Order: sequence, then structure tokens, then C-alpha cells
Amino acid sequence: MQGGSNTNAISEPLVTAHVVRTQGLPRWALLGALFGLVSATSIALWGPIGVSGTYPRFIGALLRQLAPGYAEANPYLVKMGGLAKPETFLVLGLLIGGFAASRFSARRAPRVELIHSSETSTAARYRDAFLGGFLIIFGARLAGGCTSGHIISGITQLSVSGFIFAAGVFASGILTARVLQKGGR
Amino acid sequence: MDQLSALLVGLAMGVLLQRVGASSPALIARNLRLENLSIIKFMATAIGVGTIMVYLASLWLPMHFEIRPAYVLGVLGGGLVFGVGFGVGGYCPGTCVVGLGEGRKDALLALVGGVFGALAFTLLFEALLAPVMKVLDLGKLTLADVLHLPALLVAFLLGALFFAAVAWLPTEPHHLSR
Repeated sequence: MQGGSNTNAISEPLVTAHVVRTQGLPRWALLGALFGLVSATSIALWGPIGVSGTYPRFIGALLRQLAPGYAEANPYLVKMGGLAKPETFLVLGLLIGGFAASRFSARRAPRVELIHSSETSTAARYRDAFLGGFLIIFGARLAGGCTSGHIISGITQLSVSGFIFAAGVFASGILTARVLQKGGR
Repeated sequence: MDQLSALLVGLAMGVLLQRVGASSPALIARNLRLENLSIIKFMATAIGVGTIMVYLASLWLPMHFEIRPAYVLGVLGGGLVFGVGFGVGGYCPGTCVVGLGEGRKDALLALVGGVFGALAFTLLFEALLAPVMKVLDLGKLTLADVLHLPALLVAFLLGALFFAAVAWLPTEPHHLSR
């Protein structure tokens, strides 16, 4: 109900979306309810959604070509198995979904957007994205799941591990985002 | 068949994540700075709807539940590492794939970083991580087990709690306090 959406529109076009209320329901509520429906449907059809396990399965598929001896002897790669799993197709769907949704959207996503005040160049954004990507997958594999597997699917199934993971993520995530914002001032 | 339905589930998720703005690392950073709570409220709504739906549906349908073990040290430590990466990069393992689909250049860097993270984890797993990871393993435990209550009841209570929280919390805390 706030009129503040215009102030965000210049620097972050996508951000305006959440302020706009359509037919009384905020956008996050409508899309969130639909997302909950999709994640429940997934559990009914084949299993809970999960994304991060596909990364080591991709490593496994690579190493089975490049270093088959090592790949067969590594207990983690053996445990994670091959790419012929539903999760791989889920990740493929995310890619197509992101592409399709932006194609049919009036506003195109920016190629690059700076996200903290301490991030002052495109090069710094690339560095932060790479470092962030490294840490989220390393952390997710340590925990045995990520935002989708532990937080969404986990808490949906009332799993204690999902609550523990979410507590860790938001504790250090909030702290990190605040420190990086202050660092640039 | 599972592959096809997983593809469709992923497709729907990709569209929804893009539309709510979760594939924007700037919006993720604003959520983590608590300047805007739209993505946090989106997630809480999704979980609230999902948990009630799955436990209701389980009364009539066979569900493919898969509870992950709560090995406290690894899950909490991994969550803390994940949070730092989430804060620095603004992407999670799924949203960087959606962002790449949208044509974001930094999303590709996050994805490549993730592949290297998976490689590092794979190399360190046997010698270093496997022994520490399973410390304080509580097993495949649910909130319903802890509370000794029926899962459907706990799902309704948790859903109600999440719905109350998202209705009560402002989406833009700074706008309201101004």
C-alpha cells in the first residue's frame, strides 16, 4: 500500500514487483502459495525438491570421463550417483523457466546489478558471485541440502534438519549482508 | 516419468522464482539486510502452504517423503557457510540457474563457483569432512517426533504460525518506520 515503489524503480527494476498488490493479495503471497503447491505436488509425484546435489553429480559425471579410477574410488561420488535422476531434470527446468519467464516479462532482468555498497565495480560483482557460489555449494553439501532441499522441502516435511540449516543460513547471511553494506560507506 | 514431472516442477519453480524476484541477487541482499522481506515472506508462505498440503494429501495418497538426517554439527556448520555465500553472492544453488536463464552474467559466475565448491567438497570429503560431519547425529527426526504430536496437527500449527508471521511483518520495514 506504500507509494515508495518509484524510488526503487531506477536502480532495481525487479524490486518494484513486491510492492504492487494485485486483487488484494500481495505478489509474494500469491506466488508463494503457488510455489508451496508445486513443492507439495513434487512430493506427491516423485520426491521433495532439491538442487545442490546436482553439482557434485555433475563433478562425478566429469571425473568418470577424465579420471574413472578416482571417480570409482571416491565414496562421495559413489554415494551421490549419476546424473540420470529427477533432480537433474528439475535443474534443467529451472533454467528453462527462468528463460521463459523473462522472455514473457515486460521488464528484462539487468545483465549485472551491484548488490552491496562495498561492491563498486562489475569485476567486484563477478568476484562476489563466484565466491558466493563456491561457499553455498560447499556449505550445502556439508549440510546435505540447500535452500530447496533443507529449507523449503525440509521444513515442509517438518524435518528438524531443515530448521537447523535455516537458523544457520539466516544468522550468518544477515550478518554478512549487513557487514558488506557498511564496508562500502 | 519421474524425469518429466521433475522437469515440469523445475519449470514452474523457475517461472515463480523469476517472477517474485528471487533470482535478483540485489533483492536477496536487501532481504538479508532486512530492508525488504518479500522473498523471506514468499518462502514462509510456500512452506506454510506446502506443509499443510502434503500432510493433508498423505491422508489419501502415498507421498514420497524423504526426511534428511539432522547431524547437528554438519547441518549447522554447513548452514553458516551457506549463509556467508548467500550474503556475499546473493544467489542460492537454484536461483543462479534461474538467473542464468534470465541472462544474468554474474549468475554464470555463481554457477561456476558452485561447480568448484562441489569439486573442493568432493576432494576433501573422505579425509576431512566425513568424520566431522556426522557429529551429534539425531537421525531423520521431524518436529512431530520431537513434540509427540500427529504430523498433520503440527503441519497446521506451523502453517498458521508462518501465515501469522507473514501477515504481521511489514514487507518494507523501512517504509513503515519512516
